Amino acid sequence: MRLSFPYMGPTIVYAKLLELLGHEVVMPPKPNKEIIDLGVKYSPEFACFPFKVLTGTYIKLMEKDVKNFVTSGGHGPCRAGYYGEVHQRILEDLGYDDVEIIVIDSIHDDYKYFYDVAKKLKGDSSWLQVYKAIRIVYDLTKAIDEVEKQVEILRAYHDNSVINKIWMEAEKEFYKIKDRNDVERVKNKYLEKLNQYSDKIPEEKDRYRIGIIGEIFVILEHSINYQVEEKVNHFGFEVERSLYLSDWINENVIPFAGKEIEEIEELGEEFIEIQIGGHAQENIGHILDFKKKGFDGIIHIKPFACLPELISQSVMDDLSEKYDIPVLTVSVDEQTADANILTRIEAFLDMIREKDYEEVV
Amino acid sequence: MKNLYLGVDIGSVSINIVAIDEENELVFKLYTRNSGNPIDLVKKGLSKFEREIELDEYKISGVGVTGSGRQLIAYVLGADTVKNEITAHARASTYYHPDAGTIFEIGGQDSKLIIVENGIAVDFAMNTVCAAGTGSFLDHQAERLGIAIEDFGSLAHEAERDVRIAGRCTVFAESDMISKQQYGFTKPEIIKGLSEALVRNYMNNLVRNRVLEGEFIFQGGVAANEGIKAAFEEEIDSEVIVPKHYDVMGAIGIAMLAKRDVKRKGVESQFRGFNLTEEEFETSSFECSDCANHCEVIRVIADDKVIAVTGDRCGKHTAASMTDKNRNLKKDEKDSTKEKEAESKEEIEEVDLYKIDPEQEQKVMKELEELEEQEREKEEAEDNVLL
Repeated sequence: MRLSFPYMGPTIVYAKLLELLGHEVVMPPKPNKEIIDLGVKYSPEFACFPFKVLTGTYIKLMEKDVKNFVTSGGHGPCRAGYYGEVHQRILEDLGYDDVEIIVIDSIHDDYKYFYDVAKKLKGDSSWLQVYKAIRIVYDLTKAIDEVEKQVEILRAYHDNSVINKIWMEAEKEFYKIKDRNDVERVKNKYLEKLNQYSDKIPEEKDRYRIGIIGEIFVILEHSINYQVEEKVNHFGFEVERSLYLSDWINENVIPFAGKEIEEIEELGEEFIEIQIGGHAQENIGHILDFKKKGFDGIIHIKPFACLPELISQSVMDDLSEKYDIPVLTVSVDEQTADANILTRIEAFLDMIREKDYEEVV
Repeated sequence: MKNLYLGVDIGSVSINIVAIDEENELVFKLYTRNSGNPIDLVKKGLSKFEREIELDEYKISGVGVTGSGRQLIAYVLGADTVKNEITAHARASTYYHPDAGTIFEIGGQDSKLIIVENGIAVDFAMNTVCAAGTGSFLDHQAERLGIAIEDFGSLAHEAERDVRIAGRCTVFAESDMISKQQYGFTKPEIIKGLSEALVRNYMNNLVRNRVLEGEFIFQGGVAANEGIKAAFEEEIDSEVIVPKHYDVMGAIGIAMLAKRDVKRKGVESQFRGFNLTEEEFETSSFECSDCANHCEVIRVIADDKVIAVTGDRCGKHTAASMTDKNRNLKKDEKDSTKEKEAESKEEIEEVDLYKIDPEQEQKVMKELEELEEQEREKEEAEDNVLL
């Protein structure tokens, strides 16, 4: 099958999985002004921002004559569950009739449905080949995340561009891997490269860490979140996200992954008692988890008009006070101004640093 | 020679320049309207500074820039400190009023709330989606009513009756105002209504459910407006203090921060000197299409010489056009990198980020094998039918 998928985080992983299953993969374009404009034009005004970006991506891919898309679903009251259906209709209205959007819903939600989708995607490959493909991809995501976590720490102590360059090279090289040995080799190569920069990491007491939580698409895809991570790194703060690509893969695709996420969800129940869709409950859990790990502050990124994250925003004040951890909520969409985000983040980080500075004095 | 520290606040509506001495005393103060060309206005401001201050007696030992236009002007001036306006305002305010608990700051296009504990900012909020309830809103309404903005505030005191004006949106406030005028409300009454609407807006958007504690400081350009001050006092039922230099607090704060930074680091100021008023500045930008990131690269040019390049995530363009001084720095870094590559082959510790449940894996493997078997049987059955 000739197919494509929306751009989210290091896209190599999905591309590799589909490629290993014998599909012809068309790489989606990275979200940019043109794609966002297209998406905004053809989406309902009050749809969430990720929806608009996806619309733009699909329309742009029509130029390359792609008919099949693989995308993720959603569960609970979050509108992401309708994305596939609505996108298909929008494309139909625009005259693209024979487009099919294949939605992967979590394997843990509906085993049968997942099996049907998997059967469709596996094509002619045998189930054992599928198993092998998943195994490689799982290792690949783990490796990429491991490298990225290191990048997010080191950027705080070096010029962003120096570390970015290595990260970009790594992404390129990961794309070329053929088997699990390759994954290991490339991972070690880049971890070693990064390790040379680690002597600038100061003593434990002088390290500042910020946890980034929020809606999965805006925290994974830096081209639409105004590079919040790099902004934070630029001011000398380390960053860790609540979600990495492997978390999504864990949750949705891998039937044999460990399920630490349930513990995090339980933590979140203190403020949001039931599953309200998206990652709202997990996000609250992650804040408490970050606090336990000694993080100094939380930046909460949400797309404008995201329902689950709007609810989690409303409990931030209480949470922040009870657990004594500062939280900054930033909402992003196509109307956001870069200068505004920079000002907020800088002021927030200054606030955290000044607090400690005073104590030392 | 005495040391002077310059503070420049590039706001959306006004551009302010101040100079303070070692004792934080104000030596120079300038508040100008931003008519759209910040570089020219800063140059003019500096020329004025040159004329008024005996430069032989003083030395510029630090320069700080704040405000939404800070990045560009920082390159133009060669600033030592570039910081956001929230930090700058908090700094100045807590210097003049060490017991401050709450700072209301309303400027041209943004309004901020800063909560202070023991002289340290602990929480802040800033208007998010819209500029209703800021200086621009008042400016616009003053124009509609044909009143100079300077007289706007004092007129509110002449109001005899109360009128409620819908103030959530600047445009809708206008239509409401026109209809209220028809009911016979006077201009002062309308103005009072507008001031109350602005404060209501501020309370709803920024303060929300926060508990405010004194002292209450009110600063920013809008603090000149007595009507707003009165409306704030009524809303929180407490006295509100407007500092003496309320209109340039951001600039004073950033000058103080520049002084702190220069002293802490023990370095000479990067200030490019007063000759910059003679230079021609130009900025250009282009989208780099070398990779999928499509970074917007910005160049700042002074008299045909590139003084700054920024915006590229991989550092390619920045590195290519560095000034000599910086280039040397980069070279050192490169050399040391090479050394590092040679020496360190340390072992990388294994981190197992994501665990696999081996039992579950076995089970899934078995299921898949069964599936395969089933399918093979099905195919064979079909083949038999065909035969």
